[in-house]
Parts: sequence; structure tokens; C-alpha cells
Amino acid sequence: MAIFRPSANLFVSTALIGTVILGAFLLLAIWVVPVVGYNTEERYAPEQPIPFSHKHHVSGLGLDCRYCHTTVEETSTAGMPSTKICMTCHSQIWTNAAMLKSDRQSLAQDVPIRWTRVYTLPDYVFFDHSIHIAKGVGCTECHGPIGDMPLTWKAHTLYMSWCLSCHRDPAPHLRPKDQVFNPHWNRTPSTPSGKTLMTAYHINTKILSDCGICHR
Amino acid sequence: MSPLNQRARTYWRSLEELAEKPEFATFVEREAPRFRDIVNAFDRRRFLQLMAASMALGGLSACGPEPNPRQLLPYVDIPENVVLGRNRYYASAITQDGYATGVLVSHIAGRPIKVEGNPDHPASLGGASASMQASILTLYDPQRAQLVAAHGQIATWENFVGALHDRRKRLLARKGDGLRILTGAMTSPSLIAQIASVQKQFPGMRWHQWEPLNRDSEHAAAIMGFGKPVDRAFDLRKAERIFGIGSDLISTAPGNLAYARDFAAARRPAETGGTMSRVYAIESTPTLLGAKADHRLAMRPDEIARSLRYVAGLLGAGPQDWTQQESAHATWLKAAAVDLAAHRGATLVHAGREQPVEVHLLADAINDKLGAIGTTLRLIAPVQADSEPQRQSITELADDMASGKVDTLFILGPNPVYDAPADLDFAAKLRHVPFSVCLSLYDDETAVACTWRIPAAHEYERWGDARAFDGTVTIQQPQARPLYGGHSPYEILAILLGSPITDDYTMVRDYWHQRAQQENRGDFDAFWHGSLRVGVVPKTAEPTISAALQSNLAAKLPPTAAPRANGLLALFRADEGNWDGSCANNAWLLEMPRPFTRLTWDNAALIAPSTAEQLGLSTQDVIEIAVGQTKVNAPVFVLPGQAADCVTLPLGWGHTAGGLGAGVGFNAYRLRPSPSEWATPITYVAKTGDKYRLATTQGQDRILGRDLVQEGTLEQLNDSPQSIVKKSKPESLYPEYQYPDRAWAMAIDLNSCIGCQACVIACQAENNVPIVGKDQVLDGRVMHWLRIDRYYSGPADAPDTTFEPVPCMHCENAPCEVVCPVHATVHDHEGLNLMVYNRCVGTRFCSNNCPYKVRRFNFYPYAFERDRPPNSWNPEVSVRDRGVMEKCTYCIQRIRTTQIDAERENRKIRDGEIVTACQQTCPTQAIIFGDKNDRDSAVVKRKATPIDYVLLDDLNTRPRTSYSAVIRNPNPAIEEKQS
Repeated sequence: MAIFRPSANLFVSTALIGTVILGAFLLLAIWVVPVVGYNTEERYAPEQPIPFSHKHHVSGLGLDCRYCHTTVEETSTAGMPSTKICMTCHSQIWTNAAMLKSDRQSLAQDVPIRWTRVYTLPDYVFFDHSIHIAKGVGCTECHGPIGDMPLTWKAHTLYMSWCLSCHRDPAPHLRPKDQVFNPHWNRTPSTPSGKTLMTAYHINTKILSDCGICHR
Repeated sequence: MSPLNQRARTYWRSLEELAEKPEFATFVEREAPRFRDIVNAFDRRRFLQLMAASMALGGLSACGPEPNPRQLLPYVDIPENVVLGRNRYYASAITQDGYATGVLVSHIAGRPIKVEGNPDHPASLGGASASMQASILTLYDPQRAQLVAAHGQIATWENFVGALHDRRKRLLARKGDGLRILTGAMTSPSLIAQIASVQKQFPGMRWHQWEPLNRDSEHAAAIMGFGKPVDRAFDLRKAERIFGIGSDLISTAPGNLAYARDFAAARRPAETGGTMSRVYAIESTPTLLGAKADHRLAMRPDEIARSLRYVAGLLGAGPQDWTQQESAHATWLKAAAVDLAAHRGATLVHAGREQPVEVHLLADAINDKLGAIGTTLRLIAPVQADSEPQRQSITELADDMASGKVDTLFILGPNPVYDAPADLDFAAKLRHVPFSVCLSLYDDETAVACTWRIPAAHEYERWGDARAFDGTVTIQQPQARPLYGGHSPYEILAILLGSPITDDYTMVRDYWHQRAQQENRGDFDAFWHGSLRVGVVPKTAEPTISAALQSNLAAKLPPTAAPRANGLLALFRADEGNWDGSCANNAWLLEMPRPFTRLTWDNAALIAPSTAEQLGLSTQDVIEIAVGQTKVNAPVFVLPGQAADCVTLPLGWGHTAGGLGAGVGFNAYRLRPSPSEWATPITYVAKTGDKYRLATTQGQDRILGRDLVQEGTLEQLNDSPQSIVKKSKPESLYPEYQYPDRAWAMAIDLNSCIGCQACVIACQAENNVPIVGKDQVLDGRVMHWLRIDRYYSGPADAPDTTFEPVPCMHCENAPCEVVCPVHATVHDHEGLNLMVYNRCVGTRFCSNNCPYKVRRFNFYPYAFERDRPPNSWNPEVSVRDRGVMEKCTYCIQRIRTTQIDAERENRKIRDGEIVTACQQTCPTQAIIFGDKNDRDSAVVKRKATPIDYVLLDDLNTRPRTSYSAVIRNPNPAIEEKQS
């Protein structure tokens, strides 16, 4: 009597094929899932209490970033505009717009507007806006074409590998200081080279990839 | 070893180690590789099963909902001057004993986060004590009193105001008869003025002041000696010889932080040209000054009085026949006296608050004789409000309560049911008072016993004012609105006065408005804002007054000293952390290792080794201590350096109500009688046969002759400075790391370190270091990033003590880095040994490979276990979760912030611009941090002294943290102790 019945062949081949498929799935899970947009939330614009348009305010009306994000040059956080800042204009124009209901409510009831974060960093990452601004990293380097976004969406993964790509080689991402807040800036032949800017800003790449630069 | 290093000493950390008992070796064996028990508890199969299950469950636990709702809440209106992400500092003051020490509270996004000393305040000079550092945790403590209660039932503030109005009418009718106010020692000008108006409106009112650790005998001696009440303020910069008698000069005396700074500044000979002060100390129980003394004698209180008479006699401050008595320490005392006499005008004799009136009188007389008054000691008008002796005051209050003379009692601050002298039976007498109000931070023993209890506002939650040891006033400004609905004493007194204004801001401001007008201070707004900003009201320090010491001192004292007493003596002393019990609910202070015992979470009866041997006691034995009829059970701790036959009972423990401190330790107040507050004969001590495990943080390992502490004498330093420290610089096979830019380094001066533990708590506050609880301390899992090791040398009964702060060494050849399998601990280009929490998988290899044992592991989610509001953590530092290794980072968050500021301004970081938390708080400036590559930096200068050494340099770890050796200045006339 044979040890294996014919059905054993089926069992073995199914198992072999199954292992391969499972392995493929695992690889997919490990390499692909973390980088798909659904997971990284790249190009994802969460719903907001007020459908604020950077395109309208920045490209259309020409507001400077710092009008609303007041502390971006001074401290780690860029600063979200207070209700009162919105109201500098909106107490005069579009005073009854349905879109701005949350804004008016916030002012009347003295409760903050509850925005949803587009960019979230883990608690163990300590990012500082001011130093990036001071070293000539433009807003759009991380925030993408923010001046052209009708609704704010996340432009980059914010993965550590993405941060490090610039920390290891910042030169291509630098611009003259007066262009930092320009959402439509493009490198022209007359722009000083990245290398020149690195020297001018005293950027020391050696320490930039030390863990302690962001993690503490 | 060089022949000059004749003071080769053996150091030891625990008595068991000194005795080299075989049991200690087995104990260390058992304690150190603690997994032995665990290994035996499982077989391999079971172990793997559990591991597999925990892995699976660990994976499941990651499947929960996202904890952070990702909301982003901007202000509706940004408050003036608030810049998010930037610390702001507001000056205020915190009081202990009524005396103020200036603080700067750092706020992040409007939340008070950390306390620093106020450099402009004379009592702080930038330093802060452990209890000041810990005060921020009390502010946030959710166990603080939150509810108004009447007769134990929840009531409202409005109920109370109504009841008080009724009471007020009745009191007015009988002109305040039966009205009593009980406060702690009081220095607040505005509260004193308010109480004065209460007195005016209710002439029958009596105001009592009570501090269990009062300074009655000091005050009594001043009145007897100088004929009027005076305070003594000291100038240690001029003191070349200091003689301490149970002295609290650098530990708890008002102004101790400022004194400690001057004290240490005069004891850094390697940096200041080869001179240093010399300190003598006689005391019954170890004090910080005694630990720093060049010569120290432990003796019973009666012996102290006799010895001091002898010294006074020798110096001509007392009758000649005082020198006739025999003394076991005659040579020592004579040598000290000769030395003191040789430094006339540059000496200081200081007696602690626990010393009797006689000792204070003698100290004054010697100071007078040696010309200290006017140089190292100046007299000022008393800073505290007038008070009869507090012991008398509380006794009279208790008697009046018992006889029904008191019908309305306001207890604003103190906790007399817990800490009044035991024989007064304050609790029982309080029941005779029909209307008693207790304003307290916690629902403590007194609050529970009063008819009304009102939650008090923390000092950081209300307006107020208080004076420092030299009289300087600080106006206290609130750092936050009352978090738990607390009220201030101003409010209660204002309602009692029937005043329409009851808010503390208006009251304090009005008081100062009036006073500024009287004192012609010009524009009030400028004065007010200026005083608030700086944290000091200008020109309020008391001027020196002249008062002559009455010469007939001998006539005031009994003709002969008290004879040598027999039997055991109980000494009542403040606890180094819990103080009088008012700090007993602070988790940081409860877990702070006490400087000498290294005990956490418990107090113990401290007994000298010789006495313990006589009585057949050893550490952890439970004894019954009886004073009269009262008995208390306490664990024994055998303490080197304790005087024979003296049992020190630290006060401030064993609360029965309140917060975290309730039920922790034993209550020594129960044994403390009113006639003798500081020392009383013990009726008997009996061994109960029980054992009680005490959680000490040191003594679980052996030194094995390593040169962890190095020391020399002043003579040696001046003759051959190179001979003091032993250095070996082994060659390395590996290439050296290069640090072309910056190289962060720290230098710690062991001579300056007084062991006060302020840095330990400062580090805890700054770096979100969790507490772990007693059980975990027993397992050696204490989390402090910075510890202060305590070393002894010499005989067990009279050892020399050395304190050694040990943070991470930030080795250039760090042994921890090479063993980490996941690169969670790595080196950076400035020489910092980084800890990357998010990479750490918790193998603990690094900790095992760290020769300094400075790495701490989160065996449990300590940071999340305790009831601590999330908004109280420092947002600049990660809060570490379970399974993560952590350690001192040289306050990397401070380095980064300063670095970013400097880079933004396109300049170099200035020397001294980065200050670590431990360095900032250190009262004695023992710690210096800076750039080793900057030749002009303070840290390089200190490291360049010949007495600079690193720990375990033969391991070739190349630590960045180095130490300046201990330099003692012994008197050649006093024979060297045999080690």
C-alpha cells in the first residue's frame, strides 16, 4: 500500500502555491501598504469645519503666509490663525456667508474652531518651523503647492526617509530668504546655487542627520 | 600610588559593605542578577508559551482606535505676549516657614511647566531647592482638596459665605470674643495688615501662629541676648572658619540657598587660588553642613551644650571655669577654638533651629567675642510677624478650646491636628469649637476635623506677598487660575471683615498702592509692574541694626551644664523631603532618596551603628518606641555618623488623611511632647521581631576598591596638585572620534555638592521622569536620570561623607552604543550619547553594558500609571512608554532650543547660554555645562584644574562628564581619624 494517496499531490501543490501567494501578500503588506496614498494620506484633504481655500487667499488675494501663521519665523509651531485673525476681514466681508458659520460661532461663544490636522507628526518628533524658514527652506518644500490648493491636502508622506532626504542633501531645497514665502517660486538661472546658499546659511549637514536633531 | 597620596581611603556605601559580611556578598548576588528567581519560576516550554502569547497580544494592542483625534485648536483671540512654542517666565515666590524664595515659573502655551530659582531674588540667586522644584507637581496634583464641605457633607462656597456672614454678625455683637485665627509663621505684609484690620474690627480676636518646625529657641535667645527680637543674617563670603552646631545653614535655614552658594564659592580652592574655608561641625544627627565639614563630631544634645560651653570658655566668651570640665573631645574642641580665635572677624558659629536656647545664646556670645557680628553675621529687624513663642501660642489655643473660650476658629494653612505637640490632643479639643474653618491644600487631618473645610489655592494660584530671610518682599502673582477651585486666605478674611472686595488681586494691589504712596515710590503702575516682573519689591531688604549683646551671659545660663543624661534620646527632625509633613503628598519628594539614608517612600528610626549593636538591632528591624505612654512602631535604619544613644525620628510622615502621603511611613509627631520639641528621653525601645522592607536606592552593589571618589587636602593641592587624582589613559585600538565643531561636556565639582537633591528633582521635572513606587524601588527600578551617590570613608560611627552626582557620562567610547542591536542609542557629531526612544525595543543590553549604571528602563508604563494630568508634562520632552530605555540627555531639548535660536540669528552659541536643568537649579553651582572645544568656556577652565578626573577611566570610555576631586582642609592640630 502506497504511503501517499493520489490526493496528497493536490495537497502538496496547493500548499506550495499557497505559500508563494502568502509570501507575495506579506511582501505587499510590508513594502507596498505603508506607501500607498490611503495609508500615507498623501493628497488627502480631510473635511474641515470651514472649507478654507489657500488658493483663494494666497494666490487670489495675495495674502502673505505670515498674516495668519504668525509665529512661523519665531518658534517651532507655525501658529494657526486665531478666530480674531479671520475676523479682521470677515467682520467686514462675507459677514453672513454660510461657509463661515463656524467662524462666527467661535467668536460669539468664545470656543476655538476645531480644525482637523492635515500634517501630524508623532509625539517623539520635534519639528521646528522657524529654523527651516531661517535656513531658506520655502513653505512649498514640505507643504507642496499650498498656494494653489482649494482645500488643504497633505503634500508629502512626512516619513523619516522623506525628512532625511533633505537633511542629508539640503542644497536643492534652499532658496534665497526673500523667496521663502513665495508659493510660486521657481529656480531661475540667476538664483544662487544650492551650494552657495548652504555656505551663506552656515548649514552643517554633518549634524543634520543626527537622531537628536529631531528626537529628544 | 604616589607616596604623597597618604590619605588613601577606603570608601564604602553601606555598613554591610564595610563589615564585609559574607551575607552581603550573597545579598548582592541575589539582588544584582535579579532574574535568577524568575528563571527558576518557569521551565523553558512555559516561558516560550508566555512569550508567544505576549507577542500576539502585543500585536493586538496596536489595533485600537487612534488615540489622538487630530484636532487642531487655535485661540479665539491670542492672549497678549503669548508666543506658542516659546517659554515665558513669570516671577513669583514660594514660601516655607513663611519665608519666601523667589521663583521663575516657566510657561509653555500658558501652562506652568517648570520652576526655576529667580536670579534677582536674594534668597534664591537662581538656585532652587528640591521642594521648590517639586512644588509644580503639587499644583497639578489631582488629589488636592477640591470641594467645600460642612460637617463632612459636600457644600458650596456660597453656603460657606452665608454661614460666615451669620457668624460675623454674632461676632460683631460680642466684639470678636471667641474668635481665633491660626496661621503658619507669617511674613506677608498684606495679610498681616488684613489680620490687623480684623483685630481692629474684632478686638477680642486672637491670632496664633504655629509651625511644627518653629524657630522659637532662636528667637528666645535673641531676646535674651540682644534685649529685643532680631533676626540673624549671615555673610559666608567672609567666613573663613565656620563652626556648625547641628546647623541647618545650608539645608533648611531661611536663606539656605543663598548661604549654600556663598559657602561653596569659598570652597573651590582649585579655581580660586588655593584658599578655602574650614568647617567644624558638632551635631547629633547628620546634616548637610556636617557632611561638608572638615572636622565633624557626633554627640548627644547634652554633650553639645557642654562642649559649646567649653569652647566659649576657651574663647573668653564665658567664664573660665567652663574650661575646667573634662570632655572626651577636649583636644578637638581646643584645636577648633584656637583656629577660630586665630581668624577673628572671619568666623561664624551657627546653631540649627533644633538647638536649645542655651546653645543659641552661647553661639551668639562666641560670635560676639570673635567679632563676627558686623562681619559674617548681621542683625536685622525680625522678618516674621510678631508672635509669642509658637509652642506657647498653640498650647494656649488648645487650652482655650478645651475650656470653651473659642467658638470661631480659622485655621489658614497649618495642620495642627497632625503636627501639634502630642500631649495637647488638639483633635479632641477642636471638637469643642462650634465653628471651625480649615483652609488647606489637601483634605488633611485638620480639614477632616473642622466643621468647614475649604480647598486652598496653591501659592501659584493666587495673589499674595511674602518676605525673604533678609526682608526683601516679593509680590506673588498667580501662575494659573485655581485648577481645583481653591480659595485664598484673603477671601475668607475679607468676608469676615464684611468687605465688599473679596478678590485677592484687588486686595494685594490696594495694599501696595497705599504703601507705595506712603513710601513715595512714584508712579504706582510702574512700581507694581516692575516689582512683578523682577519678582522683588525694590528697597525692601532690612537694614542692619545695631544691638549689643548683653555681657552677663553666664548669669542667664544655669551655672553648670546639664549632667550627662543616660538612656536613649528621641530626636525630632524635619524630613529632608516631606519637611514638616506639608510636602508629604508630593510623589517626587516621596521618591527622592534622602541624602544620607538613600531611603525612599518611608521614614525610619535612625540609630548609630554602635547603639544598634548594643540594642541588637539591624536595619529593617521593626521596633516599638515608647515615650511616656505613647508607643509607635518604626523600622530601624542604622545610620553611620549618627550620635550614640540618639534615635532620630524624621517628622512629616504617617499622615492619616490627605493625598498620596497618607499611610506612608510612621508619624513621629505622636511621640513629640510640647515641653521638649526636639529631643525627649525614650521610655523604652523594644524589638517587635518583625521586619519591614525599606526601599533604599544605594547599597545593592560593591565598590571593590574602585576610585569612584578621589580626594586630597588643601595642603596637597597647594604643594603638589598633580598627586591628588589618579589618572590612567589606556590606549585604544579604535580610532578616536573627532569633534571639530562642538563637544558638549559637563564638569561637576564634588567639593561644592552639598547633597541637597535639588538637581535630582529638577531633572525629574524637566525631563518628564516618572516615579515608580516603593515596590519598584525595591526592585532597583528607580528612574532618576541623575542620582547623588553618597560615599563614606572612615569608621562607621564617625565617617566622612561625600556626595557624588552621577548623570550619564556621555562617553566618547560609549559601551552602551556598541551593544544596541537596533541602533537606538547612538553617538552624535557633538559627542552626545543619544537615546532614540522610538527605536528602542527594550533589550536592556545597553544598561547591562553601562559601567556607570545610569540607564533607566521602563519596566511598566510608569509615566501613565500615576494620576498625573497630561497637561503637566513638559511638552519639549517625549514621555516614555513601557519597554523603553532612557537616561540623561544633557537636556538635549535645551541644547536644541538654544542652538535653533543661535542659528536663526546666524551666530555661535555663547558660553553659558545652554544651562542644563540640574545646573540651573544647583544652589552651589557645582555643575557646569558647555562646549569643550571652546577654550574660553567655563567648563574647559574647570576641567583644566589638576584635580579633574573621570569615573572608571581605566575602562577607556572617555566620559564627557568629569569631576573635581574633593578637597578637605583639615586642621593639622586635630589628629587624623583612623580608617
